[in-house]
Amino acid sequence: MSTLLEIKQYVNNFFNKFEAYIRPVLKLILALVALITINSKLGYMQKIDNSAIVLIAALMCSFMPLNFIVVVSALFIVLHMYALSLECAMVILVLFIVLFLLYFRFAPKDTIAVVLTPICCMMGIPYILPIILGLVGGPYSAVSLACGIIVAYSLKSINASAASLGAMETEDMATRFRLVIDGILDSKVMIVLIIAFAITVFVVYIIRRLPIDYSWPIAVAAGAIVDAVIVLICDLSMDADISVAGIIFGTLLAVVAGFITQFLRFNVDYNRAEKVQFEDDEYYYYVRAIPKVTVPAQKKRVKKINSSTVNNHRVISHDDYDDDDEE
Amino acid sequence: MIDKEKVILMTKLAAFEKNEGKKNMNIVNYFRSDYIGFQVLKAIIAATLSYALVLSVYVFYHFEDLMADIYKMDLLATGKNLIIMYLCLAGGYVVIAYMVYTYRYYKAKRNLKDYYVGLRKLENMNGK
Repeated sequence: MSTLLEIKQYVNNFFNKFEAYIRPVLKLILALVALITINSKLGYMQKIDNSAIVLIAALMCSFMPLNFIVVVSALFIVLHMYALSLECAMVILVLFIVLFLLYFRFAPKDTIAVVLTPICCMMGIPYILPIILGLVGGPYSAVSLACGIIVAYSLKSINASAASLGAMETEDMATRFRLVIDGILDSKVMIVLIIAFAITVFVVYIIRRLPIDYSWPIAVAAGAIVDAVIVLICDLSMDADISVAGIIFGTLLAVVAGFITQFLRFNVDYNRAEKVQFEDDEYYYYVRAIPKVTVPAQKKRVKKINSSTVNNHRVISHDDYDDDDEE
Repeated sequence: MIDKEKVILMTKLAAFEKNEGKKNMNIVNYFRSDYIGFQVLKAIIAATLSYALVLSVYVFYHFEDLMADIYKMDLLATGKNLIIMYLCLAGGYVVIAYMVYTYRYYKAKRNLKDYYVGLRKLENMNGK
């Protein structure tokens, strides 16, 4: 444990020292992951499915605000959809504009959740998101998560109906448009995940803020159980066809991710909690102080070898010289 | 000799100025009613645009049915329904926007008050 704490402290110090360089690098990595995932899962437009273009776009994102990654990712998605069919591009563009107009004006800091949610969904690990967002975000994170899930499952359903769209080239535009919309609205998994994840975010957020010992681990465990149970119930009642093994594996992974988040964000020692009571002119204060778990930084011992030797030599030589003069 | 307390206070003030402070200053530069009114106006525009987009998708989806039934439809009742739906959507959205931006205005004001208290404290430290 102490080794882990030392590593955490070292990483913290390293980040603080080189923050100016690390931030762009992290943004570059996030943009690369997002764009490569979009290209690998969609990849209908050959012109942008190109490593040079991805690299240039990611480099641009690394020097821009974080939300620029969302804009570039949305642009890549719309272009891929346009290459697939004009109807798909229209539907996805309307979806993005409505999400931007109605929600992201309020919570611009949360837009990154919309990028991370489809990436996690495509990687098959969406269950970690409600736990992490419940721990580090607020109740409004449920809306961001829902937006991310809508984007992810809209793309998934369009991907699934790509072959049908290709075969319907002779049909009129309205028929193909209806096929795209029906595909999105019929996605029961999307509705199940939105309900389950929203409730999980609320549960995790409420429990982690309770003034009780071990509120964060309890929040993680309760969130994981609530998430799995709601997904299973909705799956059975709505016949959404979600893999049970996937739910169990995803939930276990979510618990691990939750504990890692707790270690990084809220690592306290409840055994050393102190209760103090004092008063001033206006109030009585009942304060409960819980110390953070930290390790004392090791003091660096600097052993000077060369400089002191040189100085000694100089001193000796000066002394010798003086002595010579006196003689 | 370095005054540790003063350095901590100065760092906190500088960090606030650099990040939240600028945004809060922009908010508090308006009168409360002006700021909230402007944001609510933007919310109405956003809600109207969103409604128009969703409605156009709906019309396109049901285009053939609409074209077939256009002469049988009670256009007045349909228009009335559409306006009621728009008012419900825009009204709900405006209420949410009003609450969010009122909260933000007061939060920004409170943050700036704390910031000025910190500045006064720093001034007193320098005066000693």
